[in-house]
Amino acid sequence: MTELVHILQLARNDFSYFFRTKWLMAILLSLHLSDMLVVALVYKNMMSIDYFQFFVPAVIVMGLFVAALDTGRRIWLAIREGVIQYYLSLPISTEGIVVAYLLAGGLAAMVYSTSLLLIALVVLPAAAVGNTLILLPFLFFLAMGLAGISATLAAMASTHGEYFFAYQQVVQILLLTLSTVYYPMNIVKNYFPAFLTSIVSANPLSLAAEAMRQYTFLGYPVQPFFLLNILLASLPFTIIGAVAYLVALRTIQTKGKM
Amino acid sequence: MLDVVRLVWFDLKHELNPPVWIGLQWLTFGVQIFIYGALISQLVKIPQIPNYQEFYAVGFIVMMTFDVGSHSGREFVEAAHEGRLPYLLSLPISRSKLFLSIALKGGLELALMLMVPFAIMLSLIGNLTIVSVAAAAATLFCLGFGVAGLMLGLSFIAFKSSDLYSAITTGLSALIIRFSTVLYPLVFLARASPGYDTVAKFSPLTYGADLVHLFLGFDPSMLLNPTIAVAVLTALAVSTLGLGMFLLQRLVEGVRSG
Repeated sequence: MTELVHILQLARNDFSYFFRTKWLMAILLSLHLSDMLVVALVYKNMMSIDYFQFFVPAVIVMGLFVAALDTGRRIWLAIREGVIQYYLSLPISTEGIVVAYLLAGGLAAMVYSTSLLLIALVVLPAAAVGNTLILLPFLFFLAMGLAGISATLAAMASTHGEYFFAYQQVVQILLLTLSTVYYPMNIVKNYFPAFLTSIVSANPLSLAAEAMRQYTFLGYPVQPFFLLNILLASLPFTIIGAVAYLVALRTIQTKGKM
Repeated sequence: MLDVVRLVWFDLKHELNPPVWIGLQWLTFGVQIFIYGALISQLVKIPQIPNYQEFYAVGFIVMMTFDVGSHSGREFVEAAHEGRLPYLLSLPISRSKLFLSIALKGGLELALMLMVPFAIMLSLIGNLTIVSVAAAAATLFCLGFGVAGLMLGLSFIAFKSSDLYSAITTGLSALIIRFSTVLYPLVFLARASPGYDTVAKFSPLTYGADLVHLFLGFDPSMLLNPTIAVAVLTALAVSTLGLGMFLLQRLVEGVRSG
């Protein structure tokens, strides 16, 4: 019970740090709001599909993704600046620290993307807002998976700290461009070979963006199998991230550094 | 002059050993043009732009120029924040030479980052003259210097609070890009919402992007008057670099970034 309280305290600390970083909030909000209210709106008049209807739900998922990825930056900072040594001296297990970071990352991403969702609901009529409540726990799980990817990158980069942002940029670009966040699946199928199309359709960002479009904004009934797919696509990332961060923490514990 | 070259090399060698960031910029360009650009151009259906991938490639080069330019400006603030600026000011060289070395380093950085993407973009568009290519490159350099000067000009905020400076410059960067003709012609900004085109006319990227598009053979009817674009870009580069020089001569002595 005490361990759980400590995990929640550590998670709360990391969670509040995310929202206290002013420059980060400025980047994220200006980026996502301008994507929603400028890019989507302008492209709408240039495209063969209603791009505003298509892209606005995806911006919410992009927000979830980018906010979850910031977990890695916070882990990387903690390792670089030695704060991690302080965490390791706390009366909390190493596994507890890992869980706290993933929880905080998932929660921060959820809160941030929910604020984008509220703005999206103002500018784009949603057919079934209630479906969003069903989606939320699955999106939280996805956010933890994305935080896991980020934790892996931070653990990998801890020996070459300055490369963390390079790794993060590569992962971010590849995961976003190889998804249906920006373009519909039929366009992807026309352009990519079959194996790349499979990657795009299995990408958790594609699944989340599609769920947001179909269930919240178009109002189709929620398919449990689709939600299970989101869980299954996110699970490996969460596990790999947790293990990578745990190994990094154990190494620091025994050797004093990475 | 040897002092200037030595200073430029001192700063530049960190980025070339190994050239991770340059390689990353090239990779980002490749992914953005050959995946995102190619797929999104399947959706764009407007007579003025028969191949949107080419239009996007030019726009992305302009965005890269903006990024490199703003990075050079921000580096100046970081130098003040990390204590490098007082060291540079204590060197036995004149302020004008120091300023020249900062500007030259920014120019070389821009050339290194853009070399490969620019060549790829030219081969993608094809059918160009030496004059049009040289004019496009000159416009990009002018824009790069202007943006670097703009960020340098904003550095006085950083002397009060570096956190606030980062928030303003990064937030502003996203808006300057979205509210410009980098990704879409001005007429579509006007169609999206009244007033968007007016805001876009305040973005330096609008003039840079339209001028480069014009030199590379895009339909002039959808672009801004080139005479105005040349005047705005020249005024921007001269005024902001002049401001930067003034800051370096008069204001930075003894200041510390907050």
